[in-house]
This record gives sequence, C-alpha cells and structure tokens, in this order.
Amino acid sequence: MLRAAVLVSLTRWAAVVLLGLLPFAAAAKPIAFAKGKTLMVEWGAGTMVEAQMFYAPRYWYSVGGGWLELDSDDGLKRRDITYLRANLLAKRWNLPDAQANVFAWGGLGRATGNDFEGPELSRNIGFQADYETRRVYSSFRADLHESDRFSHRIDTLQLGWAPYAHDYDQLATWVVVQGRRYTGGISKGTETALLVRFFKGGTWVEVGATTDGKLQAMAMFNF
Amino acid sequence: MKLFKTLLFAVLIGLAPGAFAKTIEMDVNGLVCAFCAQGIEKTLKGFPATEHVFVSLEHRIVAVELKDGQDIDDAALKKAITDAGYTLVKIRRTDESLAAIRARVSKEKAQPKADPAKHRHDMKDMKDMPGMGAHE
Repeated sequence: MLRAAVLVSLTRWAAVVLLGLLPFAAAAKPIAFAKGKTLMVEWGAGTMVEAQMFYAPRYWYSVGGGWLELDSDDGLKRRDITYLRANLLAKRWNLPDAQANVFAWGGLGRATGNDFEGPELSRNIGFQADYETRRVYSSFRADLHESDRFSHRIDTLQLGWAPYAHDYDQLATWVVVQGRRYTGGISKGTETALLVRFFKGGTWVEVGATTDGKLQAMAMFNF
Repeated sequence: MKLFKTLLFAVLIGLAPGAFAKTIEMDVNGLVCAFCAQGIEKTLKGFPATEHVFVSLEHRIVAVELKDGQDIDDAALKKAITDAGYTLVKIRRTDESLAAIRARVSKEKAQPKADPAKHRHDMKDMKDMPGMGAHE
C-alpha cells in the first residue's frame, strides 16, 4: 500500500517535472559580468511571476528593471509591481575551489492591486548570500516589496547538489531543494520545491514542482 | 660589412617572433561555475592579440593562445580577470600550444587526481622549463 502511494507520488513528481520542461524556464545572480546583460524569468508555483533584465557596466553593479506579479493563495490579493532597480555585489570571496557572494539591491516602482485604489509608489530592497563549489550550492535571498498599502517579503533558500562536477564546456546538472516563504498575506507556511537545474554557455534553466504539485520554474540568460 | 649587417638584420627579424610566448596560462580563483565564468572568455576574446581562449574549471586555469608575434601585458590580463569578477593568482607564459594544454588537462582529468604536493612540485618544475615564466 505504502509502496503504491510512493510510486504514485514519484510518478506525479516526474510528470510535473517533465511538464515543466516544456514552456517555462529563472533567476540566480543579478550581475553577470562587466558589460554583460542578464535576463531572468521565474514562474513561482502560481504565487509569483517575475521577469527581470539587468545590465552590468562593471562586475560589481548592475542596473535594470523588472515586473513582479503576486497572487495570494486565497485569491483575494493581487499585486502588479513594475520597478527600476540597482544591484550591488557587496562582497565576493574567490577561493581556489569555491566562490561566495553577498549581493544587495534597492529600487523604486509602481504598484497596483485589487484591494486598493490607483497605482502606488513601491519600494524594493533585498539581499542575497550564496556559496558554491562545483558540487554544492547554497543561497539565501530576501526580497522586500512594499508601499504605503502593502508589504510583501519573499524569502528563498536553495540548497543544491551536483551529481558530477561539470567543466566549462559541459552541461551542468544540479538537483536543488528550495524553501520559500511569503509575508503580507500572500501565502501561508513554507513552500517547498524540488528542482532540476541545467546550464551551459549563457543559458540556465531550472524546473521542478512544489510538494503540492505546482510548477516552479526559472530561466536565466547571460549575454 | 654591408652584407654582414643585412644578414644580422635578417636573423634578428627571423628570431623576433620567437621572443613572444605562444600561450598565456593563468591560475584563477573562484572558477566554479561555467555559467558565471563566461565573462572571462568574452573579455579575453576582445583583445586583438587573442587567437583562442580555453577555460578549465577543474584545473582552475584560463589559457589564451596568442596571435603570432603578439602579447597581452600582465596589467591588462589582471584587469580582464578582475572585471569578470575573479581573482588572478598567477600568470605563466609558455610555448605550449592551446591544443597541448587542452590535451594535458584532458589527460590529467582521465587520470586519478594527483597528490596536491606532487602538483605543486610539477608547477615548480614548469617554471624552470625554457619559455616558461611565472610571477605572482
């Protein structure tokens, strides 16, 4: 009985992951390299959708903008936020076999919602800390969007493991466990997802599903 | 005397390209992610003296094959690596071709991982080879 239930659960996961490979693809570091452009798109399990584009004049900062849509679990709140933002690489540690980073960002935008009148000026502030080797990856990101009418923070923790150490010209494959929490009445509890990440050249694709079977996907392009 | 000067001039001209290394090999820290390291290749390919670029995450090296008779100075190399967000540890100039470096790296990859102490010894030996220079 238990085995059958596990089998059904695994099949459902596999189906959702394969389905995720079709149209969607998301986000990691907001700065690529000096004179590099980064395009990021994320589909967050039906709760959030975000698209961002940044240009980095130097390797330690980038400027650009994005669009974020938030939909609460209960269907009562919806936010559309368009923003301009600057990202700063506050600190980087380049070690022989690892790299660690701390990014911080801030910006201003325009927000609309279904539970307040008219567009509002919104503020965005956040940070990300990450550490990676060729086999292990971890990152924590906190992203706050607020206005005089709302305040939503999205906290995302990712822990990744690579089944093999990729080299420069090879396809990199990662298995990532993601935990995410929303504040401000968007979603209750922690949303947990299992993701598979692939990247080669300037293309990065990450797809998976949350424990309740919702699609979680990301794509990122550096050029 | 005129003939001697002409011959000397011809010999010096003929030897001139040999004064330049064929490849620059750099040890770089922070090389763990191919997606993030693209900036290095892109920047180095932008130098007029660059023929080809090779990056090995496993060996933490970036190699630049130079066009005949051309060179890139150390300051420019350091700036290129730094601007890509990485830390340059060491520069070596060598007469080894990029293909030879690629083959060496592939061969080392196929073999069991070398003892780090032995590896350091090898690196020291390389510095003593003709055409190899190293500096921090």
